[in-house]
Amino acid sequence: MIWLKTMGVAMVIAGSGAFGMMGARGLDQRVEQLKQLRLAIAFLEKEITYMQTPLSMALTRTADFTAEPVKQLFLESSHILKDRQGVTIREAWQKGLKMLAQAGDLQKEDLNLLQTLAAQLGMSGTEEQKKMFQMVDAQLQIQEQKARETSSSNRKLWAYGGFIVGAAVVLLLL
Amino acid sequence: MLGSSSESIIYQDIVPYLSPTVRSLIMETNHVWSELEEIRLRRGKPILLRTGDREITITPRGQLEDNLARGYVVTPEDIHRTIASISDNSLYAFEEEIRRGYITISGGHRVGLAGQVVMRQGEVKTVKAFSSIAIRVARQIKGCAGHLLPHLYTRSGVPMNTLLVSPPRCGKTTILRDIARSLSEGNKWGKGCNITVVDERSELGGCYQGQVQLDLGPRADVLDACPKAYGMMMALRSLSPVVIITDEIGRVQDVEAIYECVNAGVSVVSSIHAGSLEEVQHRPVIKNLMAEDVFYNIIFLSRRKGPGTVEEIVRCER
Repeated sequence: MIWLKTMGVAMVIAGSGAFGMMGARGLDQRVEQLKQLRLAIAFLEKEITYMQTPLSMALTRTADFTAEPVKQLFLESSHILKDRQGVTIREAWQKGLKMLAQAGDLQKEDLNLLQTLAAQLGMSGTEEQKKMFQMVDAQLQIQEQKARETSSSNRKLWAYGGFIVGAAVVLLLL
Repeated sequence: MLGSSSESIIYQDIVPYLSPTVRSLIMETNHVWSELEEIRLRRGKPILLRTGDREITITPRGQLEDNLARGYVVTPEDIHRTIASISDNSLYAFEEEIRRGYITISGGHRVGLAGQVVMRQGEVKTVKAFSSIAIRVARQIKGCAGHLLPHLYTRSGVPMNTLLVSPPRCGKTTILRDIARSLSEGNKWGKGCNITVVDERSELGGCYQGQVQLDLGPRADVLDACPKAYGMMMALRSLSPVVIITDEIGRVQDVEAIYECVNAGVSVVSSIHAGSLEEVQHRPVIKNLMAEDVFYNIIFLSRRKGPGTVEEIVRCER
């Protein structure tokens, strides 16, 4: 019986601890993904403003240059645009964002910021596109800084908190 | 379903660019595609199709109708989606074309755009808030200039300076394109020769993303989207053409460039908008060219028996 109890205690603490560790990892991943997003968007800006590459191709090239899960945003958008079913960039980008939201660790405020690109991406002249990218990059930089601060202050809380909560549950049950 | 090549041109090159609603309506009209010359979408107005001299609309149920009031009314959404599709959602990549008022799509079809024109320092910067789209179907009719070829060469088989004259929509560009192809390929009146096509409006070669879409023969160099006068001088300096072909001359610089070409021993085949010889002679910029008989052949076209009807060929004696 004592073995059974010990196993139960170990499982509760391990499960709760793993949940906490995942939370902590998610915070780090968010920072990493925001960093990747900034790099990807800088690449896309170069494709648009210097190379004048049509958007579907520019998105494909950006996807090739970008790591998962941020790659999903660009890959999905470019696939939809290439299908030529009368879909606008706004719709394609929104579908790409859905994929990113499922696969990544970004928060709603990050996704809302990316959503602002949907209305303007591609549909104006080079100068306007450049201004838009500069504005989005500035905002993403702020988000990345905030995410970094959140991560450094909350990482330990999540990592240790999981085990502590697990232990507390065990104590209550005993 | 798509029997003739005209129908497949519309299906492959034009239909995919239309907004889903307009696309489904156009798909219902495939029996007139072989004659379709133009599709016009105007915000808040009925969709218009031009087939020959007839202008028709499509009802919301997909039936062709002469009474425009019964036509499907084009929505801002249709305009937005069609523009987005035509430009691949990349207006930045077509800034120069938009400034000139049109985008050329795959297949060489020209899409005219109208909307709010933005000016900067006295020049058109861009067009925004698009309100109209005119899709002009480009059809290459190989051999349509065949009956003109004997007039284009000297007895020794050298191409001569030739001017095609007609009002708009009489087939000048189609004939000029076929002349270019025939000169470049060669034919029974003359050997194939190097030609340069200065295609300011991307209509002759129908260039799309730098690729010539229409057949201009094996010896054609195309200066796409290049102003005519610059293009003629560039060709003269670097491409050693026997003939320079360009559409719709009309500016002082064009005329100066033609003189340069002719004096350098290069023949010019071109076109101009006018209804008669008198009208050409009254155009201030062109009248010196005419007075000095620079063009050996002046070919007048009309639509009397369909586009490209040759009304008269005037030969200037030199």
